[in-house]
Amino acid sequence: MTVPTDLLPADLLLAARDGEPRAGGTDLMSRPAAGPHVDLTGLRDLPGMSGITWQPDGSAHIGALTTIADLARDARLRAAYPALALTAQALATPQIRAVATVGGNLLQRNRCRYYRNPAFTCHQNGGNSCPARAGDTLYAAVIDTGPCLAPHPSSLAMALLTYDASVQVHDRGPLPIASLYGDGSDPSRDHLLDPGELLLAIHLPPPVAGERAAYHRATGRSEAEWPLVEAVARVVLDGTRISHAAVGAGGVARVPLRLGEVEEAVLAGEPFTAAAALTAARCTPASGNAYKVTLLAGTVLEVLEQAAGTSAS
Amino acid sequence: MKIMVNGVPHETDAGRDDPVVDVLRDGLGLTGAKAACRTGVCGACTIAVDGTPQASCLLPAAAVEGRAVTTAEGLDHPVQRAFAAHDGLQCGYCTPGFVVEAAAFVDAWRAEHGDVTPPRDRIAAALAGHLCRCGAYAGIYAAVEAACRGEHDGEAAAPARVEAMEKITGHARYTTDVRLDGQLEGAIIRSAQAHARVTSVEVDHAHVVDLLPPDRIVRYVGQPIAAVTAPTRQEVLAIAESARIGYEPLPAALDDAPDAPPVYDEQSRKHAPSSSEGLTLPGGWNGNVRGPFSGVSRRSRTAVNRIEAARRRADPLLVTGTFSTAVQVHTPLEPHACVARWDERGDLHLYLSTQTVALAAEQAAKRWKLDASRVHVVADHVGGGFGAKSGITVEAVAAVELARLCRAPVRVVLSRAEELTDAGSRPGSRTRIALLADGGGELSALAMDVHGRGGVAIGSSAALLARLMYGTAPRRLRDFDIVTNEPPGTPFRGPGAPPMLWALEQAVDEMAHRLDEDPIVLRRRWDGNPKRHALYDWAAALPIWRDRPRTGSRSGRFRRGVGVAAANWMYLVAPATKVELEVEGDTVVARTATQDIGTGARTVIAGVLAEELGLPADRIRVEIGRSGFVPGPPALGSRTTASVAPAARDAARLLRAQGLRPGAKVVGRRRGDRGGYLTPFPVHGMALGRGFSGAVHVTEVEVDTRLGTIRPLRVWGGIAAGRIYAERPARNQCEGGIIQGLGYALYEERRTDPVTGTVLTAGLDDYHIPGIGDTPEMTIHFHQDGWEHVNGHGVGLGEVSTVGVAASVANAVHNATGWRPHDLPIRPDRLLEGISR
Ligand SMILES: Cc1cc2nc3c(=O)[nH]c(=O)nc-3n(C[C@H](O)[C@H](O)[C@H](O)COP(=O)(O)OP(=O)(O)OC[C@H]3O[C@@H](n4cnc5c(N)ncnc54)[C@H](O)[C@@H]3O)c2cc1C
Ligand code: SF4
Ligand code: FES
Ligand code: FES
Repeated sequence: MTVPTDLLPADLLLAARDGEPRAGGTDLMSRPAAGPHVDLTGLRDLPGMSGITWQPDGSAHIGALTTIADLARDARLRAAYPALALTAQALATPQIRAVATVGGNLLQRNRCRYYRNPAFTCHQNGGNSCPARAGDTLYAAVIDTGPCLAPHPSSLAMALLTYDASVQVHDRGPLPIASLYGDGSDPSRDHLLDPGELLLAIHLPPPVAGERAAYHRATGRSEAEWPLVEAVARVVLDGTRISHAAVGAGGVARVPLRLGEVEEAVLAGEPFTAAAALTAARCTPASGNAYKVTLLAGTVLEVLEQAAGTSAS
Repeated sequence: MKIMVNGVPHETDAGRDDPVVDVLRDGLGLTGAKAACRTGVCGACTIAVDGTPQASCLLPAAAVEGRAVTTAEGLDHPVQRAFAAHDGLQCGYCTPGFVVEAAAFVDAWRAEHGDVTPPRDRIAAALAGHLCRCGAYAGIYAAVEAACRGEHDGEAAAPARVEAMEKITGHARYTTDVRLDGQLEGAIIRSAQAHARVTSVEVDHAHVVDLLPPDRIVRYVGQPIAAVTAPTRQEVLAIAESARIGYEPLPAALDDAPDAPPVYDEQSRKHAPSSSEGLTLPGGWNGNVRGPFSGVSRRSRTAVNRIEAARRRADPLLVTGTFSTAVQVHTPLEPHACVARWDERGDLHLYLSTQTVALAAEQAAKRWKLDASRVHVVADHVGGGFGAKSGITVEAVAAVELARLCRAPVRVVLSRAEELTDAGSRPGSRTRIALLADGGGELSALAMDVHGRGGVAIGSSAALLARLMYGTAPRRLRDFDIVTNEPPGTPFRGPGAPPMLWALEQAVDEMAHRLDEDPIVLRRRWDGNPKRHALYDWAAALPIWRDRPRTGSRSGRFRRGVGVAAANWMYLVAPATKVELEVEGDTVVARTATQDIGTGARTVIAGVLAEELGLPADRIRVEIGRSGFVPGPPALGSRTTASVAPAARDAARLLRAQGLRPGAKVVGRRRGDRGGYLTPFPVHGMALGRGFSGAVHVTEVEVDTRLGTIRPLRVWGGIAAGRIYAERPARNQCEGGIIQGLGYALYEERRTDPVTGTVLTAGLDDYHIPGIGDTPEMTIHFHQDGWEHVNGHGVGLGEVSTVGVAASVANAVHNATGWRPHDLPIRPDRLLEGISR
């Protein structure tokens, strides 16, 4: 299904061009907006804009205004797309998940401390430099793809990437979710939708039978902390052999990542440790974040083991 | 717009984009929900919308249109009674948010599982969006568990602290909640430069108060420049933001490099602020380095000679090392706040979030040249302090001056960013230590050089405290300050002790390792303090200690280890303390000019009175938090209980002698101790009493060697502070002390931009304080003997209960992994690097 775009109110579409859309507001309300807020919550009742709609082929259509809490508690979603449900359940806090939407999660702005601090301007808010690069890089992306070093904040984007999900944007056809983010070389924004473009829904391909999944985030504290590194793994086991694998990682690059090299190694029967260690080849650490190389391999190993049910204690 | 709040329909003219927390607090006067972080992290603003808890600071008003909103004020739920009974709070500022969330969890849990105890990790996950800076998590777990079991469905049990229900229902009024008629909002304009002369301040507004020092030089990013007012918070923030400040930049010292430009010249040095609570130690200057102060050394030449000789012969019993600690920020959940009002008679009324009502009044009288009787400081409830809220601080200066200028009451509340930048921090430190044992395993010499990093503040006094531990062996103890163009350090719970113990207690642990001796046995031998001896015996008998692994014996991914650390603190008292009792009807009312920052001062006084007068709790009322009452102690230096409890007892005895007639009034005094005090006369109203309080912490951790995390599993805290007046609040203090110590060891770190000196950890998502999920199981043991010479037989425990915790964590990590963490916090990156070597 698609959301019927002809039902979108014209005045709202117009307003969205000069203002910044607001869904749950959990990101927008915490930072200066790029213009007046444009309240999207009135669109909740449009067919397909909110909630999960199951298609005849067993696939899911998720409205952009669906809350993360609704994703996390949906039993059918948990069975069909466990990596997505586990990710939804683990991010932020209960109060935030109750309000935050899937669309807002995919399109939220980054959490770089420089960008969020009014004392600095940078590529992301009208400047043309990156003070983080010369400054504190403890939390910076360890895979450097361009001027900006802020890790992409969206946990859901990482999970959806491993499902080859696509998104519906109001004046375009279906797009692969990766195209929302590109290659990370544009330092001025965290997603590539233009002002005024509305994200309407997410489509998932039909579920893979027998999928086992895991999500994990590496943090200092036990709860409610932005991840240093996060990862998801989806595998299908055929006896002891892995017949299907999809692995994603976050907290390490300008964009959410799909780790093709790890997937191939795992499918080829490489030990998990060796497969996870392949991620080091992507890394180009800054002065303060070399530990993320170790942590990326460790987190990927963690989700592989958990998903395959081979974790040792 | 129409909203329904607590069952009552309201019409509000709030903007649709305004955060709901402001609509409730400023629009409807419902101040239960607190705006403590405004970034969705702390949960203090939590309300239920159609039954679902949400962070009202990030919720636009439009989102609650036509919905049913419930705040703590409108909640009537068993979990609230459970919080009161199990003492799930200290200062109470986080409590209204916690109970709204906990109520929803308890209902959902019971509906799904029946009246059974939930696992701790389920509770932690449900309450993950809430932070309690006081660390009252043990009580919160207990309360939620009990409420889930259905234990609080009936009548309320006796609360563990007397003001509990006020806090739990959101009715307790904190300074941030005060709203007077015609009140304006104030804001502070702060420096964007680390070092500059301010040449001009232009604000498009009539009322501006200058906050610059006489030389008009700002010495750190965030230093106050001026203050402005407007009718609303939004307006005043816009005005502050549009201010145009002219700077003449000066070179800034942002690190401790020897060639860093000078922060002070000879003149301005004299006005450097201090992070020391008592007198600042004398010391000379060499560029940006001040010190050393080594006045408390003992046979320092001998100590140095022995250490040098041991070094030359590569003596294996010479333990040396360099240890560092990060800057820790107090960040009480209630930010610094003041509402100032000048009345028609020229009296000054200050509602102030303070640990020192009396001192604040005294300083205000002096500063604004008023008779002491004309200054009235009020602090009914204070949302935490930890040392940061002493005297007249900048928000009070701004509020008072603006109120005078505008002829209207003015409220100034610091934002979380201001709170995390320039409202109190424990200086960072670098310590070089050398510890030498002789052939008989006795302490032969100790040398400790501590370089404190308190930004523009001086007054580091850490090494000094090593004079008071481990007998009389020769020692050279030197304290230095390295000043930089960063925000000033201030006194913080046990000033100087955590960094000192971080080094000393790890060095002692290492020595035990070298001697192949039980670290508790070694400490017991070196430590002459009889009260700590009792704690060592208790700790040594703990099964967890007896069964601890041999260091380095663990392999595998998850490694458990157990560590111990001892701590020492001074016994301070305010000898001038009085408590007044007045019989009103059938109620005895106690008054004294102290305040409760979460420590339970009211409860201590009420408990003494109940015992002495044989009265039930509902016939006793304790009124504190007013400067005009008879003199009471500041909540600093763990002196409140030792000061007020004996004075309350004295008053009770006088009243008993007089008879409990309505109208009867007596004033009790804090009479002296047997043998007097160590200080012949009080300094700043404070005497140093005889004897030292002690603590021994035993900590078990689990280290994840793959992902670099350290999970504190269980902590035992043995405290020797004499008589415990109010058991549950005292235990809560000690548990909170452990939580703050864990935060210090593992997570907390103020970080600044190395290029500009701007504080980067300016929100609670970036400055990491422990959450409920980080709470270990805690067991507190009170050793109550040894204080018979003290009037009342009990002394304070707020500081001794936290200062040694971080070192016990480090020793546990060493026991688990064989790697010794030298730098704190022990972040995942440091752990991973350390164990990979
Ligand atoms: C304490 C805390 C912890 C957090 N931890 C995590 C975490 O671990 N992982 C994680 O992924 N996130 C985390 N978050 C972020 C949170 O998930 C996001 O804030 C939330 O998902 C944003 O959703 P929203 O509906 O509130 O978005 P809004 O704040 O309403 O919008 C966010 C952005 O998306 C745009 N937007 C929203 N919807 C649309 C649409 N349909 N079309 C076009 N543009 C749109 C808005 O214009 C805005 O720029 C955390 C947040 C907090 C406060
Ligand atoms: S890392 Fe990106 S967001 Fe952060 S300061 Fe640099 S450009 Fe800005
Ligand atoms: S004030 Fe809303 S979460 Fe902290
Ligand atoms: S009681 Fe929780 S912050 Fe003080």
